[in-house]
Amino acid sequence: MAEEKHTTRGTIKFIVWTAASLALIYYCWWSYSSGQMVSWYYYKAKTDGFAIRANLVREATKEKPIVLEIAQVQEVTGLQAVPVKKGERLPVGVNGIISKKDLEEGKRVKLEGNTIKVIQGTQIREAKGFKFKDTFMHKGIETNPWSGAWNLGMVIAMGLALGLMAEGFTDMVGIKISKIKHFEGAH
Amino acid sequence: MFEFEIAGISVPLFMLILTGSTVGIVGGFIGVGGGYMVTPALIVFGFPGYMASGIDATHIAGKAVISTVRHRQLGNIDWTLGLAMVGGTMMGVEIGVRLLNWTKEHGVSGIVLLMATVVIMLGLFIYTQIETQAATKKIQKATAQGITTGREMKATRMPEFFQRIPLYPIVRCHTARLVISMWVIVVVGFLTGVLAGFFGVGGGFIRVPALVYIVGATTHIAVGTDLLEIVVSGGYGALRQSMSGNVDMLAVMFMILGAMVGAQFGSIATAYVRGPAIRYILSYSLVLATVGAFLRLAYLITGGVYEIFNFLAVVFTLGEMIFLCLFIVSLVWFSVRHRHGKTVPKWIPSLVVAVD
Repeated sequence: MAEEKHTTRGTIKFIVWTAASLALIYYCWWSYSSGQMVSWYYYKAKTDGFAIRANLVREATKEKPIVLEIAQVQEVTGLQAVPVKKGERLPVGVNGIISKKDLEEGKRVKLEGNTIKVIQGTQIREAKGFKFKDTFMHKGIETNPWSGAWNLGMVIAMGLALGLMAEGFTDMVGIKISKIKHFEGAH
Repeated sequence: MFEFEIAGISVPLFMLILTGSTVGIVGGFIGVGGGYMVTPALIVFGFPGYMASGIDATHIAGKAVISTVRHRQLGNIDWTLGLAMVGGTMMGVEIGVRLLNWTKEHGVSGIVLLMATVVIMLGLFIYTQIETQAATKKIQKATAQGITTGREMKATRMPEFFQRIPLYPIVRCHTARLVISMWVIVVVGFLTGVLAGFFGVGGGFIRVPALVYIVGATTHIAVGTDLLEIVVSGGYGALRQSMSGNVDMLAVMFMILGAMVGAQFGSIATAYVRGPAIRYILSYSLVLATVGAFLRLAYLITGGVYEIFNFLAVVFTLGEMIFLCLFIVSLVWFSVRHRHGKTVPKWIPSLVVAVD
């Protein structure tokens, strides 16, 4: 009888927390695919410069440079560079900024009239002893500070829901997980 | 292949789920976040270094919640001990991060960081190996004399020294059955926090041995309590990394989904083993991570000329995850065989529990 009650409670727990987990996963997926999360991420300019679609200039080299046209547009769809000032909201579709400093240095990019010539789209950098390809992507952007709290809340809620769902599952299928007797026997 | 719009790369989803689950097994079993394994793996998948660190830190917070829920059910968490440690840990992490920034400003962060990793991890590995071997011998001797041995066996008197420090307030930790000065807990939290902040990891691989050898908790309680601690410190890390724009939340979500399965297995697996088994796995994870760090150190010291060092470092770090998972799975397998009276290797009975 007690075991049956335990299994029933486990089943209810599993159903409730599975529903909660699925709701959280769906919400996270929807926020991402609808572009809401992306717009929170690429929120404001952290530096003066030109907002670009950085993935389009990734392959640029000295031998095969990629040229961006400077334009004032609300949405960047191709090889365009939109002038932005520090603290301004970023146009839709951009994912990196070529800073004024980069242009002044002229090592990776050069300003030529109404265009920007990218001559080194990717450079090799190192983090914690591991090398990785570093591009203009994520450079000079400021993330909405509230997205940090949102991410944290989401991660904790998801962890809790999935953890309790798993607990409900083991109770439901009758896997008995009891408290460990830490101090029994010689130790 | 799935394209992550924020991270700006395409990665096979099953690789993220698999990484989450393998690190979940190890993390749930030895009470670590596994940052030193996940970050290199994500870099290998193509994530930029800063994003790999951010995704790692954020997924660790979620994974720690999953493991904590299960360890709570197993009775492996001492809430007093865990919460008393949190303040010290947070202060320590902040100091550690500042120390790291100071070394960065002086242009020595890479080498200082790696050298510190090698020295501390190697020291911990040697001590844990010696102590754990002595503990397993004690179990074998007691069993031969017909004495029923419990889950925990230690061969160190260090905790007794620290528990005798008469500095008020003295706290009573009911689950861990400890009476100890609050200051010892706070200082242990602080020092392990400094190292965690400096290394840029959750710090579980330092905190678990500290809880066992200094505070005197049993290994199982140290693992559970440390995971509670990681929820707080990992949560703080997740917040900071997210605000800095280093997190692709969808990648985190897939890793947490993998971790859900792995962390369950790892946490429940602790019910099948004795304390020394967990300490063995922890020490092996330390030495393997040290070898990886040593190879990266060799690569940096030689000015990045010998690519083979970098390649071997990556191979070692990824191989470590698989090795540790197989080790844990085999311990559970042998424990089940032992419970059913089947033949197991000679060294198994001192590491696993037959009946609970």
